Amino acid sequence: MQESANMKRDLTRIRNIGISAHIDSGKTTLTERILFYTKRIHAIHEVKGKDGVGATMDSMELEKERGITIASAATYCEWAGHEVNIIDTPGHVDFTIEVERSLRVLDGAVLVLCSVGGVQSQSITVDQQMKRYQVPCIAFINKCDRSGANPNRVIEQLRAKLGHNAVAMQIPIGLESDFQGIVDLVSMEALYFDGAHGEDIRSGEIPEQMLAEARQKREELIDQASAFSDELTDAILEENEITTEMIIAALRKGTLARHMTPVIIGSAYKNKGVQLLLNAVAELLPSPEEVKNTALNLDENEAPVTLSSHPEDPIVALAFKLEDGVYGQLTYIRVYQGTIAKGSTIINIRSGKKIKVGRLVRMHADQMEDIEMIPAGYIGALFGIECASGDTFVSPGLNLAMTSMYVPDPVISLAIEPKDNKAQINMSKALQRFTKEDPTFRCHVDMETNETIIEGMGELHLDVYVERMRREYDAEVTTGNPRVAYRETITQRADFNYIHKKQTGGSGQYGRIAGYIEPTTEGDFIFDNLITGGAIPTQYIPACEKGFRQSLAKGPKLEFPITGIKVAINDGAYHAVDSSDMAFQAAARGAFREAYLRARPVVHEPIMKVVVEAPTEFQGAVMGLLNQRRGMIVGAQDEGHMCVVEAQVPLAEMFGFSTVLRSATQGKAQFTMEFALYRQVPQSIAEKIAEDMAAKKKNAA
Amino acid sequence: MLKKDLILRNPLRQMGYENDDILPEGGFGAVLARAGVGKTALLVQLALNMMLRGKKVLHVSLLDPVNKVDLWYRELFRLLAVQYQIGQIRTLWEDILPLRFIMTFKVEGFSVPRLQERLNDLMEQGIFSPDMIIIDGLIFDDTSKPALDALKEMVEKQRLRAWFTVNTHRQVKEDADGLPKPLLPADELFDVALLLVTEGNEMHIRDLKTGDVPSPRPVLILDPATMLIKENVAVAS
Repeated sequence: MQESANMKRDLTRIRNIGISAHIDSGKTTLTERILFYTKRIHAIHEVKGKDGVGATMDSMELEKERGITIASAATYCEWAGHEVNIIDTPGHVDFTIEVERSLRVLDGAVLVLCSVGGVQSQSITVDQQMKRYQVPCIAFINKCDRSGANPNRVIEQLRAKLGHNAVAMQIPIGLESDFQGIVDLVSMEALYFDGAHGEDIRSGEIPEQMLAEARQKREELIDQASAFSDELTDAILEENEITTEMIIAALRKGTLARHMTPVIIGSAYKNKGVQLLLNAVAELLPSPEEVKNTALNLDENEAPVTLSSHPEDPIVALAFKLEDGVYGQLTYIRVYQGTIAKGSTIINIRSGKKIKVGRLVRMHADQMEDIEMIPAGYIGALFGIECASGDTFVSPGLNLAMTSMYVPDPVISLAIEPKDNKAQINMSKALQRFTKEDPTFRCHVDMETNETIIEGMGELHLDVYVERMRREYDAEVTTGNPRVAYRETITQRADFNYIHKKQTGGSGQYGRIAGYIEPTTEGDFIFDNLITGGAIPTQYIPACEKGFRQSLAKGPKLEFPITGIKVAINDGAYHAVDSSDMAFQAAARGAFREAYLRARPVVHEPIMKVVVEAPTEFQGAVMGLLNQRRGMIVGAQDEGHMCVVEAQVPLAEMFGFSTVLRSATQGKAQFTMEFALYRQVPQSIAEKIAEDMAAKKKNAA
Repeated sequence: MLKKDLILRNPLRQMGYENDDILPEGGFGAVLARAGVGKTALLVQLALNMMLRGKKVLHVSLLDPVNKVDLWYRELFRLLAVQYQIGQIRTLWEDILPLRFIMTFKVEGFSVPRLQERLNDLMEQGIFSPDMIIIDGLIFDDTSKPALDALKEMVEKQRLRAWFTVNTHRQVKEDADGLPKPLLPADELFDVALLLVTEGNEMHIRDLKTGDVPSPRPVLILDPATMLIKENVAVAS
């Protein structure tokens, strides 16, 4: 195969990075500037779409309108001889699965923070995810031109709130509206960004009045870096010259080990400091070779296998993102081992389907470039491949899967109804696409009411998909009230001894099952066969289990799914002629019904972890709001002029919270919400749910 | 029934206090030790005991963020449950969790009027009204008397019980009462003062305010691995 000129093979010069940030910290603007300086785009637009175009990374219309980024598009650029793939990650917690999936394919990340807002609750969530996937990162403190900018405070927060060993590599020359340039503490020069878009970097002497501070900060930087380099330590002790290379090498070592987070500052909007951030990405973040990637060996009980990152080895690749483009389905993949080239044969591990690779492309935002191959360590996209997000592709003969990602169960559902026939067709197309793209988004048809139900991780999550249906698929739908995913479980052990008998006329049915059910925390359903001596013949045991499983889908109490239950059978009886699989399934269902109501069933509801950030004067009001919503306040953190209130609130009470919060705090508070746990519903509420369910049933009938 | 098992084991009862609350209403208690010895751990155990008895605890920390304080509770509760072999701890934990409220301040941002304001916010809206308050990380020096006086007034008015952590320093000269120096400015405000000292591999809890108790109270031992109070009691020398 001929090697393509535009897909070089020097892995040490590849950077697969993500840009993770709190919503509104300027991530999209930053990405836009990066693409501009790396000459991938030739004009600069603003996120909010003042000129009607919108930043290049926000390829979805909806994102443009809301000023937020939802989909993680992968984009490619080159800087200082390095090839950089940028995965633009979403900033809202409702789309966490996308963030997590992106982090899986990254080798390093830039944590963007607002120099005014600092470390906010979403930054904490994103940071935890980075920790989970061991992603080395550097921090970029953006918006230094804004009033109230204070990079030092943000560095302090990085240390205190996120536990990062944050070290400033630069200090600002002036701040807020007076933000002029940056002092680089490694090279000890002042840098200014001239030209219409800051593309000309002018280097100068450090201003006299800043010299002392710069020296002191440089000393701190070198002191921190020396912990990772003997060479640097020796140079300090022997008072030799300390070279830029020495400092960078030491910083790189610390960053790769996640023992240090170098901090870069700037203002993407004002075109300051972005090139220095790109330098830092090239100098400090890891290449694919420096990251250990593991897959699971499905032949050996999912034992982890380290991948070689060698382009000649058999292929292992992960599909991390699907997009419906103008030309059909585009599958973004990261190749971990081997090389996917045009004409290669790969197998989708999940479906077992063999695929011949057709067109390969590299994306930058919504433009694409054809390439010949995607070697290990690279990110690219395939055309016309039928698969779902998170699927693993391998060479024939391998049976490996990339680490299965944690996918939480949905906590909220919504009935949707297409407005007309055309909408009906488009809606099903859209749903098919969304469920493939996002494993936390699911849909099904309720057999009783015949409604289409979509399920997801939060109100906004579902809202965005309904909007996308409208815009991208031209599917007008009406939505019902959001419904909370309640569950039933039992609280005590109950015995059963049930005979299913039908022996009048025709072929008979007979089966007796005895045993008990009890609560368990070890799983949703555990089936334990304690039968000895063949009281129920072995061939009927799977039928018993199936019968119990069928009973779990709808609890006899309120028809919610049942979880956390253990069924043990220890006795029974059969009939030589009349016993059958059917008879034992029916017996199991009967036995379950008999025992269930005696096992003190209760309803559980999803509880969300809600974190509200508000100016201190609204702390009382915020706590009042949460309390009214059956919230249990875990704590209140006073941070000078802002406070953070953390609470656990039932999801059922959180509908419309953003509006209420906005009006109670003059729009100055913001909140994030994520699923925390299931907890028992208080008696009074359970009664109300029962009433609602009864009313609904009556209406349906 | 399980809960009772845990309650009955209030470790401080072993020191001879008659009341489970240890402190009288409006009373002040202090846990003194050098940094990192286990003051917070001891107070969290006291708090857990209060919560298990259905009383509410307001934990004010001037040192740690909410999550970290929460972690102290979770960890010590888990260890307690392991030590006393209590099953079903999740349900029990869920039961007592609403009885705790964590409030954190930055040391420099803390003031008694501010705390009072926050507390009023909670009590007036019926969100939380504590029976006990823990203040972890307040600086005790010659200037802290006015703040402590104001706190005393607040605690008496609201009929609370307040516990403080007090950092002692390496070279502490004990005065005639046996109280370490940092506590001195407000000595008369405190009803109970417990000193944590390392003795070899063990950590001893000494009661400094024996007052009118005829015989010296026994010394309790803290397990340095779990920070839990051990069952066996040494006799004070």
